[in-house]
Amino acid sequence: MSLTLHERAQYAGAPLASPAPAPAWTLSVRGLGKIYGDTSEESIAGTGPEFGTAVSPNTGAIVAAWGVDLDVAPGEALGVIGESGSGKSTVLRCIAGDEPATAGEMLFTDHGGSTERLDQLSPTERRRMRISDISVVYQDPALGLTMDVSAGGNVADPLTAAGWRNFGRIRSRATELLQRTEVPIARMDHPVKAFSGGMKQRVQIAKSLANDPSLLLLDEPTTGLDASVAAGVLDLMRGLLEETNVAAIVVSHDFSVIEMLTTRVIVMQHGRVVEAGLTDQLLEDPQHPYSQQLVAAARG
Amino acid sequence: MTTLSAELTERSVEQLAGDAAPRDIFDELSKRAVRRALLTAIAVPGYQVPFSSREMPVARGWGSGGLQATLALIGADDNVKVIDQGEDAGVNATNLRRLIVGNAGCGEETETGLADVIQSRHRIPEEPLKDGQTLVLQVPVPEPLRGVVGSMDEQRRMHAEGDYAKMWVRLYEDIVRNGVVSHSADYPCLVNGRYVIAPSPIPRFDVPKLNDSEALVVLSAGREKRIYAIPPHTRVEPLTFEDVPFTVEHTEGAACVFCGSDDTYLIGVPEEDGTTRWVCSDTDWCSRHRPDDDTETETEGEVSR
Amino acid sequence: MREMDSALDLQKELPEGRVLAVRGLTKDFTMHLVDGRVAHALKGVDLEVEQGEHVALAGPSGAGKSTLLRCVYRTYLTTSGAIGLRTSTGAVVDLATMPDWDVAMLRGREIGYVSQFLRAEPRRPVIEIVARAGIARGMERGEALDAAAVALRRVGIDEALWPVHATVLSGGQKQRVNIAAGTISPPRLLLLDEPVSALDPVNRVSVLDLIAGLREQGVAVLSVFHDLEAIEMLATRVVVVEGGRVAADGDPHEVLRANHGLAVAR
Repeated sequence: MSLTLHERAQYAGAPLASPAPAPAWTLSVRGLGKIYGDTSEESIAGTGPEFGTAVSPNTGAIVAAWGVDLDVAPGEALGVIGESGSGKSTVLRCIAGDEPATAGEMLFTDHGGSTERLDQLSPTERRRMRISDISVVYQDPALGLTMDVSAGGNVADPLTAAGWRNFGRIRSRATELLQRTEVPIARMDHPVKAFSGGMKQRVQIAKSLANDPSLLLLDEPTTGLDASVAAGVLDLMRGLLEETNVAAIVVSHDFSVIEMLTTRVIVMQHGRVVEAGLTDQLLEDPQHPYSQQLVAAARG
Repeated sequence: MTTLSAELTERSVEQLAGDAAPRDIFDELSKRAVRRALLTAIAVPGYQVPFSSREMPVARGWGSGGLQATLALIGADDNVKVIDQGEDAGVNATNLRRLIVGNAGCGEETETGLADVIQSRHRIPEEPLKDGQTLVLQVPVPEPLRGVVGSMDEQRRMHAEGDYAKMWVRLYEDIVRNGVVSHSADYPCLVNGRYVIAPSPIPRFDVPKLNDSEALVVLSAGREKRIYAIPPHTRVEPLTFEDVPFTVEHTEGAACVFCGSDDTYLIGVPEEDGTTRWVCSDTDWCSRHRPDDDTETETEGEVSR
Repeated sequence: MREMDSALDLQKELPEGRVLAVRGLTKDFTMHLVDGRVAHALKGVDLEVEQGEHVALAGPSGAGKSTLLRCVYRTYLTTSGAIGLRTSTGAVVDLATMPDWDVAMLRGREIGYVSQFLRAEPRRPVIEIVARAGIARGMERGEALDAAAVALRRVGIDEALWPVHATVLSGGQKQRVNIAAGTISPPRLLLLDEPVSALDPVNRVSVLDLIAGLREQGVAVLSVFHDLEAIEMLATRVVVVEGGRVAADGDPHEVLRANHGLAVAR
């Protein structure tokens, strides 16, 4: 099951030696919560898997996520799985800074080892982190791309935001990234609105990698794509995750995506984490009734 | 001494001009409000300060913002020069000048060097501005981010955070599509290393004049109710990539047919035979630099008709 | 409490030279979708594997052989008991209770698992799949490509197929690619779950040869084979599992002779 820092400390003190030094998590989240509506303590009671709802019977508030713990290390991909409304995308948006969390700590450490409490940063500082440290690939390309701007221009966006002021260098970096994500270079000057769904996602991925982020957040990156197109995008992401040292969080309701991309996974239901484990363990030996139900449904 | 015909001509000109300009179009409290906004604008160079733009006897978008700024700044001892696209004699410039003179009781002037306040639509005079002068530019669209992002909230956020990435992307797109930055007028500039401004639709040719200017530059948009300023000796940099230098309009071999200048902003007039005649946009400057003009001492004695 | 007890024991249970020590391992499956029914798959298994040893699990179908392998690999969560592993650095860890992330780190270099199925892989050339397995175990890219070529030749994958995506291969070819990937720069402990089930006789022999060669490299192997022939050829010891318990443990020939009903029981 997922271990808290406390548990990890206990583990470290146990007589058994740890095979690897305790990892420097890129992101360590403790007690993350997001409530829409009345954010008082009163809203929590009566919500969660044991009550079968995320809506507070006391206040009517929606407890979209509560008590969520997760860690992700450099070079590792963590899956977050659950049905729509389980809170998985809420968790992602809170980490991305698209919306403020109601509760919890988020400790972020970049490639260079400098550490920030994401939950304590101002909206401005959070946006700045999104330029170079934390990237998101959204299910809806319209959220991640400017549709009437060319593929190259979309990739140029985070580069110029990071202070790139040399046209030639911006252009060659954009070319390199689009090549890497298998976008035909002949189309790099075409507005992305003319692109197919799969190609838009490839441009979004290229953009997300522009400034070598430490943390990559993927929100249902292949949902809505045709199966064969989705497979191609998944292949690409798997390769990129293997080749870079980025830490990734993959949110999906689709086990095949989670299986292809992640090594560990957490399962969410009604805003709570009900199970955490190695991805193959969760698929082969799910413990929680809800996980078993999800796996059974996925296995058809 | 006046002949009958001269008297008649004078009267018909007066009649043509219509009634005398309306007086007291701008009350002292409103002027003070504009001056307060202006003080903020000068204190925070390039920052667009909202102000309570009043109704003026000119349509919004026809210099109502510039008019309010000029009336708030000018005193009876000052001289005002008003130009429209470099021309003092344009109908719009003439009307605005009459309004200003009629209300402020100030003098009117066409010679750049002698004016205290110069209100202008879309040009900066050729004659370098001096310490103590104020240039008031009429601004139709003060927001440089309009057309880059739609939401005004987002525009404000981007200014607040100095986040101009989308503006750079637009320049990138421009170069990709057109090979050059195609902004011919209203070229986005970074003021004092902080705020990006729309310098009003002055040609690129005039943009370098904003940098380290001796004079105070006031930019006022009446319709949009925003006022901003470039105080004297402020850094103004046109946004440009390191490897794509900023260039100003220049046509090789073009020179003004009247004064012969080839280093001023020239307007091409197509001729029937397919050639182009070039003339100075700044008419006052041109008239003072003609070889046959007495005021141009350097060319005295070189008259050739 | 359980973890602490087993933790204290494990140091003694894993003297140098021993790679794996399973103690009192039980595994229950609670099926919440079937009225919470509980299946007791393993009921207290003790087992050890030494360095360079090949221990084959035998026993009737459903006896718990594959379950045991999966518990060791942590694909299944252990219900109680300990799974001690002595790593290449000499550290002793309990695979049953250690954190997920640490298990993930041990996989690859320390523990490998080759099943009869090829894991979901991106559309990627065959040689790349095998080479990446080597890179994951610490090889340089060039070295890994060389080793991948050697491994693929040994399992009889034609060079023409090397640049082809694994998705287009036959079941037998996939299985051979799988074994090549699993044995390149082999891990300290290799778990084999019927790795030759889909192979024709010729290829089967070459793969079995490859597995036999692992012993010389000091790899500890714990395997499940469905045919006695393979066990006889490879195993240095046989552990018979029956009804979730160890029924016999010893020399292959003696154990198989004493349990001659085994093959039929499948």
